[in-house]
Amino acid sequence: MRDIIDPMVTEGTGATLTPRRWLQALAKQQRKRLLGAALFGVLAGGQTIVVVVGIAWLIEQLVVQGRSPIALWPVFALLAGSVVLRAVFQWGYETLSLEASLRIRQLARGQLLDKLSALGPVWLTGQHSGSIANQAVEHVDALEGYFARFYPQLRITLLLPLLILAVAGWLDYLVAVFLLLSAPLIPLFMALVGMGAERLNRDQFVAVSRLSAHFIDRVRGMTTLQLFGRTAAAQQDVWYATDGYRRLSMRTLRLAFLSSAVLEFFSSVAIAVVAMYVGFGLLGYIEYGPSTSLTLFSGLAVLLLAPEFFQPLRTLSQHYHDRAAALGAAESVVNILNEPSLVSPHAPMTPSSPTAIIEIDAVCVAYPGRGQVLGPIALSIQQGDVIAISGESGSGKSTLLALLAGFIAPSSGDYRRVADSHYAWLDQQPCLLHGSLLDNLRLAAPQASREEMSVALQRAGFGPLLAKLPSGLDSLIGERGMGLSGGQAQRLALARVYLSKAPLVLLDEPTASLDQETEQAVMAALLELAQEGRTLVIATHHPEVIAAAQRHFAFAHGQLVEVAT
Amino acid sequence: MIHILRDFRPWLQLLVRRRRRFLCGALLVWMTLIAGLALLGLSGWFITASALAGIALALGMPARLDVYVPGGGIRFFALLRTIARYIERLYNHNTVLTLLADLRYRVFGHLTRLDDASLHRQRASDWLSRLTADIDTLDNFYLRILVPPVVALLSVVVISLFVAIWLPGVALLMAITLGLLWLIVTLVTAMWGFSRSYQQVADQESLRRLVVDQVQASAELMSYRSAQWHRSLITIQEQQAHSNQRRLGHKTALINGLVSAVAGLLVIAVLWLSSLGFVEELVAAPILVMAVLIALGLNEAFIALPSSFIKLGASYAAVRRLNELTSAPPSHEKQTSLPKALGLAINVTQLSLLYSTSLQPSLNFVSFQLPAGKRAVITGSSGAGKSSLASVLTGRLEPTEGDVLVGGERPWQVAAQSRASHFAMLTQSVDLFDDSLAENLRIANPSANDELLWEVLAAVALADWVKQLPKGLDTAVGEKGQQLSGGQARRVALARLMLRNPSVVILDEPFAAIDAATAQHIAASLDQWLANRTVIYFVHQISSLNLLPRVEFHWHLVDGKLQQYLIE
Repeated sequence: MRDIIDPMVTEGTGATLTPRRWLQALAKQQRKRLLGAALFGVLAGGQTIVVVVGIAWLIEQLVVQGRSPIALWPVFALLAGSVVLRAVFQWGYETLSLEASLRIRQLARGQLLDKLSALGPVWLTGQHSGSIANQAVEHVDALEGYFARFYPQLRITLLLPLLILAVAGWLDYLVAVFLLLSAPLIPLFMALVGMGAERLNRDQFVAVSRLSAHFIDRVRGMTTLQLFGRTAAAQQDVWYATDGYRRLSMRTLRLAFLSSAVLEFFSSVAIAVVAMYVGFGLLGYIEYGPSTSLTLFSGLAVLLLAPEFFQPLRTLSQHYHDRAAALGAAESVVNILNEPSLVSPHAPMTPSSPTAIIEIDAVCVAYPGRGQVLGPIALSIQQGDVIAISGESGSGKSTLLALLAGFIAPSSGDYRRVADSHYAWLDQQPCLLHGSLLDNLRLAAPQASREEMSVALQRAGFGPLLAKLPSGLDSLIGERGMGLSGGQAQRLALARVYLSKAPLVLLDEPTASLDQETEQAVMAALLELAQEGRTLVIATHHPEVIAAAQRHFAFAHGQLVEVAT
Repeated sequence: MIHILRDFRPWLQLLVRRRRRFLCGALLVWMTLIAGLALLGLSGWFITASALAGIALALGMPARLDVYVPGGGIRFFALLRTIARYIERLYNHNTVLTLLADLRYRVFGHLTRLDDASLHRQRASDWLSRLTADIDTLDNFYLRILVPPVVALLSVVVISLFVAIWLPGVALLMAITLGLLWLIVTLVTAMWGFSRSYQQVADQESLRRLVVDQVQASAELMSYRSAQWHRSLITIQEQQAHSNQRRLGHKTALINGLVSAVAGLLVIAVLWLSSLGFVEELVAAPILVMAVLIALGLNEAFIALPSSFIKLGASYAAVRRLNELTSAPPSHEKQTSLPKALGLAINVTQLSLLYSTSLQPSLNFVSFQLPAGKRAVITGSSGAGKSSLASVLTGRLEPTEGDVLVGGERPWQVAAQSRASHFAMLTQSVDLFDDSLAENLRIANPSANDELLWEVLAAVALADWVKQLPKGLDTAVGEKGQQLSGGQARRVALARLMLRNPSVVILDEPFAAIDAATAQHIAASLDQWLANRTVIYFVHQISSLNLLPRVEFHWHLVDGKLQQYLIE
């Protein structure tokens, strides 16, 4: 059984994902809807052609042929029908592309969250949780415009102008030739402008991300800023950061808007040129080509078709920032997707000894970019063991614990663990979820009942506090345990251990930075857990904890040595 | 309705200060639109006039048409539209981004004035979404909600008046139809999507919180095998958010379809009505064509409105939360300042403190006196009220009852700058910024040179360690100082403190997570630096008085009550 399925990283082939390829892969998942949306867009455009040509024909009939509007009412009715049909097609285009975009975003978010699981706690510790949340929420949502607007519009832009060109050519081939000649210039300009805008947009995305990180960091440390009287300076800092963002944005926009100006220019000039050509043609000033056969109908029709020819491109350029934003967002997401997973994608083998819970044999651990940090190490943990692991900070205690927990896969050697075992985890800074006490306990046992939770809290010494809380288990507790002191948070974490009934408990310096009272409570709890027959592995430098352990290992010069107890 | 307007008011007022830019921007947008309509209308007029003149000439009838004025007009409007569009977009975005810088600065300013209690009530991830997302949503407000409807309405009025010169009936139809359409795409759309788009902001925030949880609790989720459970929470939240967005999108699509249909039907109606006028020879053919083409182009003013107005609720949600943040009651007139002595006497009488969020007072009739320049230690387990007492002593909280005098002044009435220079506190949880080691130290003293930094690092026995780091003082400490161990972060915070020259020093667990030998070294250098200052140590328990030299008073806090101990 694979523990965590990693959909994107093709391990073994070593192929890295690029933002473009990722977006393409995502689009592929909703190809039918996206194509359907584009089709609706083209159909709506087709109705626009019908409407403007129809209007031109009606005007000729009314003005030149002198027919009465009453006699022409069926044509009016047909045009009205066409207008309504166009609205329906537009509605279809919007709803289909919206659906595709929603599904794609769900998929993209799923991939990112899966990847976060595969990267595991060791990798996540070094990251800004705020900016990762930014990627999973804002950056994934930034894909919306790309799939809901840009992507189908690109398909429309490839097809609709050709259709208009064909109709214009049928009416007057000189106008069609003129439009055709101006057309290749546009993509050229757009590409030139777009390339610059894309790079700048990427920079902007990085800047926005950094700006958020900068801000959350300053707010977290607001107390310190106030204590040192540095709030004014920090506020200035925020202003400079934001103004830098403004200047960066303006640079992007100066270029990005050029592309829309180019299109505006072409579209305006097309109207002007066609108007002059048709006008002079009708006056009989031009006497070559098809201009002699121009009528008010064909003249008006090509005049109205000229801006429609550029309209899909203009719309596309309006959505161009959607593409740039999506690429910027995709880049930051892809950076994460391309990180080598630390958690092993495979379920570990079962231990060779029937009484062992975890066996590691000649195991080394290497972090990407940092080389080997641990090993080779051999250790066999038997059921009911109480093991203390000591060593200076940085000697590898935490890495060993992360290895035992499966947070990081060994770079070599064998790691064997009882299949599908769950275990309890307790470290120095217990994590508190946003939400109630209940949510925080569910973390350890999603199925536990309220009674079981109360019992676990009582056992962990959280009882007196619980009794004081007005909403009991439903009381909300804050981020970083602001509502709870460090000791209370650690008791809550202990309650999780009790609640989970996990046979194996891994503890990373559980008594560090606790007051004596809580420390004693934790110590007592450890002994109690051991008496229950749970297996404990404790990374610690606390002499009392070491004394209470059955086995004691110490890190010395990178080697794990068993110390006689 | 009224309370919505009231909530928007402070932010609209911010705009009023830049009204000239706003009006200029709106005028540019309007000019772009009108230039486009003029280009199309004039071209239609010109072609029709030419066609009629051409036919007349072909029939041998005398006909004259001035081709130079319309020709020049067409070229002029073509150019005007291009240039106006480019300038308009640049100008308006600059306005918006300038406003954004203003807004961010202002909001952060409000945050800096919050006291300890309000600071701790907020959650860090909320703050982030406040400053970035909410203000960005307001960006949506200025550029998409305020300018376009004004431009659309102005265009409808001007165009209707223009057409009324020749075709009053047609003009009336245009004015009424487009006026109603304007109401639909602005007010009706806004009301229709209000609650859903309001919800969208809340959805996004919940989703963000869940992801933050997944990241921060990754170790627990993985070991307890509850990752799937948490993931299903995210999925449920995401689906809820998406179904909301889907409905909102469907509404937008419906209104967009309506705009397209109404605008198209209007063109046909204008053609029908003016052709009736033409038959009765009330209007000339070129004018008829011009009216039709203008009507055809006018829908451009409406296209962008529905998708902006359907999101008005999102702007409102952002505005409400920003208001909540910025409407905190202004704290006291902080006018007084502390005397300039090195040590200050502390006098606490019958001090009580009750947080609004808790049941029991954190401090319960606490009284003690600490003479200037003396040192005291206050022991107590976590939750006994040490942090609250520290906050009151440094003026970061106002007591519920009783009085505190430091150097003869009530600390919470002292101006922030004076407090900052007289008080120094090592907080229980150390804040390090995601910056270099040097920058983290210079928070305490921006003008400190490297030499001074090395000196204080040596005082906390970190100099040797920093020297062997490849980047030395420029080493990044990571978010929340995560690249450092707990003990190292604490020592950096102590070193930072020593860069200042305060009168009163409060040290909350100065030696936590620091090994005994290092603690001894630090205690000695601290002792030197603390000479003549008034000092309070807060510790869980006294492991050794060696670490607390020259302490003359010992009090013990239990559940917010203070007991006196004798120092032997």
